[in-house]
Amino acid sequence: MKRLKGLPSKLWLILLLAFMYLPIIYVVIFSFNDSRSLTHFTGFSLEWYEKMLDNSTMMESIYYTVVIAIIATVVSTIVGTITAIGLSKSRRAMKETITQINNLPMLNPEIVTAIGLMLFFTALNMRLGFMTLLLAHIIFCIPYVILSIMPKLRQLDDNLFEAALDLGCTPFKALYKVIIPQIKPGIISGALIAFTMSFDDFVISYFVTGPGINNISTMVYTSVKRINPSVNALSTIIVLAITIILVIVNIVPMIKERKKKKNEELA
Amino acid sequence: MKNLLKIALVITFALALVGCGGDNTSSGDNEYGCEVLNVYNWGEYIGEDVISNFEDEFNVSVNYSLFDSNEAMYTKVLGGTHYDVLVPSDYMIERMIDEDLLQPIDKSVITNMDLLYEGTLNKPYDMDNTYSIPYFWGNVGIVYDKTIVDPSDVESQEWEVLRNPKYAGQIYMYDSERDSFMVALKALGYSMNTTNEDEINEAYDWLVELQQTMAPAYATDEAIDGLIYGEKAMGVMYSGDAAYILSENENMAFYAPEKMGTNYWNDAMVIPKNADCPGLANEFINYILTYEASYDNTITVGYASANAEVFEEMGAAGGYYEGNPAFTPRAQNEKDEVFSNNEEVRELISELWIKVKNS
Amino acid sequence: MKSFRRLVYPYLLWAIVFIVLPMLMIVFYAFTTEGNSVMTINFTLDNFFRFFSDSIFINVLIRSLKLAIITTIICIFIGYPSAYFMAKLKPNSQGLMVLLITLPMWINMLVRTYAWRGLLLESGLSPEIKVYIGMIYNFLPFMILQIYTSLSKLDQSLITAAHDLGCDNKMAFLKVTLPLSIPGIISGITLVFLPAVSSFFIPKLLGGGSYVLVGNLVENYFVTTGDWNFGSAISLIMTIVILISMYFTRKFDYSKEDR
Repeated sequence: MKRLKGLPSKLWLILLLAFMYLPIIYVVIFSFNDSRSLTHFTGFSLEWYEKMLDNSTMMESIYYTVVIAIIATVVSTIVGTITAIGLSKSRRAMKETITQINNLPMLNPEIVTAIGLMLFFTALNMRLGFMTLLLAHIIFCIPYVILSIMPKLRQLDDNLFEAALDLGCTPFKALYKVIIPQIKPGIISGALIAFTMSFDDFVISYFVTGPGINNISTMVYTSVKRINPSVNALSTIIVLAITIILVIVNIVPMIKERKKKKNEELA
Repeated sequence: MKNLLKIALVITFALALVGCGGDNTSSGDNEYGCEVLNVYNWGEYIGEDVISNFEDEFNVSVNYSLFDSNEAMYTKVLGGTHYDVLVPSDYMIERMIDEDLLQPIDKSVITNMDLLYEGTLNKPYDMDNTYSIPYFWGNVGIVYDKTIVDPSDVESQEWEVLRNPKYAGQIYMYDSERDSFMVALKALGYSMNTTNEDEINEAYDWLVELQQTMAPAYATDEAIDGLIYGEKAMGVMYSGDAAYILSENENMAFYAPEKMGTNYWNDAMVIPKNADCPGLANEFINYILTYEASYDNTITVGYASANAEVFEEMGAAGGYYEGNPAFTPRAQNEKDEVFSNNEEVRELISELWIKVKNS
Repeated sequence: MKSFRRLVYPYLLWAIVFIVLPMLMIVFYAFTTEGNSVMTINFTLDNFFRFFSDSIFINVLIRSLKLAIITTIICIFIGYPSAYFMAKLKPNSQGLMVLLITLPMWINMLVRTYAWRGLLLESGLSPEIKVYIGMIYNFLPFMILQIYTSLSKLDQSLITAAHDLGCDNKMAFLKVTLPLSIPGIISGITLVFLPAVSSFFIPKLLGGGSYVLVGNLVENYFVTTGDWNFGSAISLIMTIVILISMYFTRKFDYSKEDR
């Protein structure tokens, strides 16, 4: 019975993935186009890959994007998790205040946050560059992490925590052993959203960065002036890299497990 | 998940190491007192090897940054970012001179001044090129499909052809208040730099009528692709983009209205007041004027070069853009104008433009 | 337990410095006009009068809200079943699905939207429908992720208990699963609705350019026109409208919790 019921749901998910990946496949196909067009495929070529590799600004932008995204994700996930846990135990006024403040960067048109931060950094006499870019990314990522974790914390059963204390755990051990595992899905989705936001941000990055520090989005937005399929080539490389990482992450543990089983059988 | 985190950390550290290695390209002292030049230019607006050749020749490194509009660039500079060379358009240069944001070019360094095309020099935004040295230039005109649009219609009606009901639903209007109002004002026979509110309101009515009768698509760069593949039959275009469209689709033609006149534009290199390395900036500007750099720029980007030799060679027989009328814009036509900077008009037009699109 | 409250304070300080202070600068701009010299600051409501005296700006705001609301609702209706089915998969497949849903978003938004533009070019759909497809595509993953999070690791014993008490599947879902996932839906709404109101690249690229939204308006006044004062005022008006509506959403949420 369970099998039968699973069919429509599987079909739904497959359709969902098809919807999500349709444009991605399109992007990949047009990275091999031999003209500049992004709407008409005129023939196969690797021209745009060559152009991309030759473009040192573009190659550097990959480096900055990845480094900023990873650091911003790690920092904002840690800070966000700690704050969310504290927040779940706070009085309602505090909860309300932080939630509303956190909504601001999500709610403001990006240009407003961007100009606000740019003016703020300059007012503090900070030189715009890598550090201000990173700082800005951490600033706008944390609210997303908190937002993702809060629902999970509200589902949490307080008794579990009390029980852990009764069984002799210190509060922080109880936190680590009981609460964190319970809210892990929230932490993961928070981290994923933070990474995505950082990776894809243009407007804020554009205004808080300094000379020579471009990210992929800057490349994309400024190349649109003259449509440049190198951007598609770049995207294709990203897709490829992600796929490889995914395969490693998902397949390697499976192989290990299989080996382990085999060894156990042998023993 | 843990594995993913580990991989992520390894990648970061690896990249961080690579990055650190890459940054240490200092070459010791030189006569300019700095080894890094910060250039801020339009996206897709430079030859493939220009930067690396300059770096090799002068033994310095260039931090190359990009912008996508004059105004975004201006906001960045105003926000306190230090660049050494910028490439704004005419009216923006005028504004920056007015606001005392630029420093004079050191003409003693610019030894290649005489290589410049006459038609690009001494324009009203900077009468004697004290602050700016031309980079690319061109006109704005109409790109149209000869198989659908009658060339005699375009040439006789000029800008008014955009409101010819025969071609309703077939046109791209340029999605920028400045360029659209230029078209309307020129069509009405006014100066595109008018400060007369009645004239501007008349232009507004002109655009509203266009919006209501022609159902235009408002686009900037999306129109390039659209015209190459015949999604629409006509569009307002910058000459450099038009040159590219013409080279991709032979049915396409370009016409820059002569009797009504059009916009003559110029993007030029300037040095902001807060530049860290003005000495090297002047050298860079001088380098861009050379035949090699100008040639590389124009071949890659497709806009008309400010270097006279390159410009003439490209359009002449046997040149890269032979017989492509959009590549060889005109610099001397009585009715053509250069944009000037006027803050009040800018605000007014901006608000009217929102209304046009909502009418 | 209450000692954890202290964990909030560092972030509170951080948020005040890095979110509230820059925001105050914007508020300051909204209440002044250009040409004000630094020495004599004149506070004025001119910018707000200007906004409300012209129906065009109000129409733009209403249009943006409508776009965001419809996008959010459709995202809930597609996102909820997706998240629900995902949570029913084997644990390994769940992790994979989460990644598969997120990954497309690592390709630049503009690149993806250009792809949709090409895909829908000959579809004959109206510009409005194209805009919605683009918007839903861009925001759906956030909704799915948030709802999925609230559904995963849900205490299965609760559902079993509901069954034991005579609930059928439908009842168990309505009485147990759905209420428990409400916080997730609300996070999802926040994540989709708030950015959707001020989005403008997608409508611009897919809607043919004559689609003016609050996002365009603010961007236009900040960058193109350089009138930060009016831009700030528009942004502030939008912020207030949305904060009020979000406040009521959360009030609804809390009232459920308090019962």
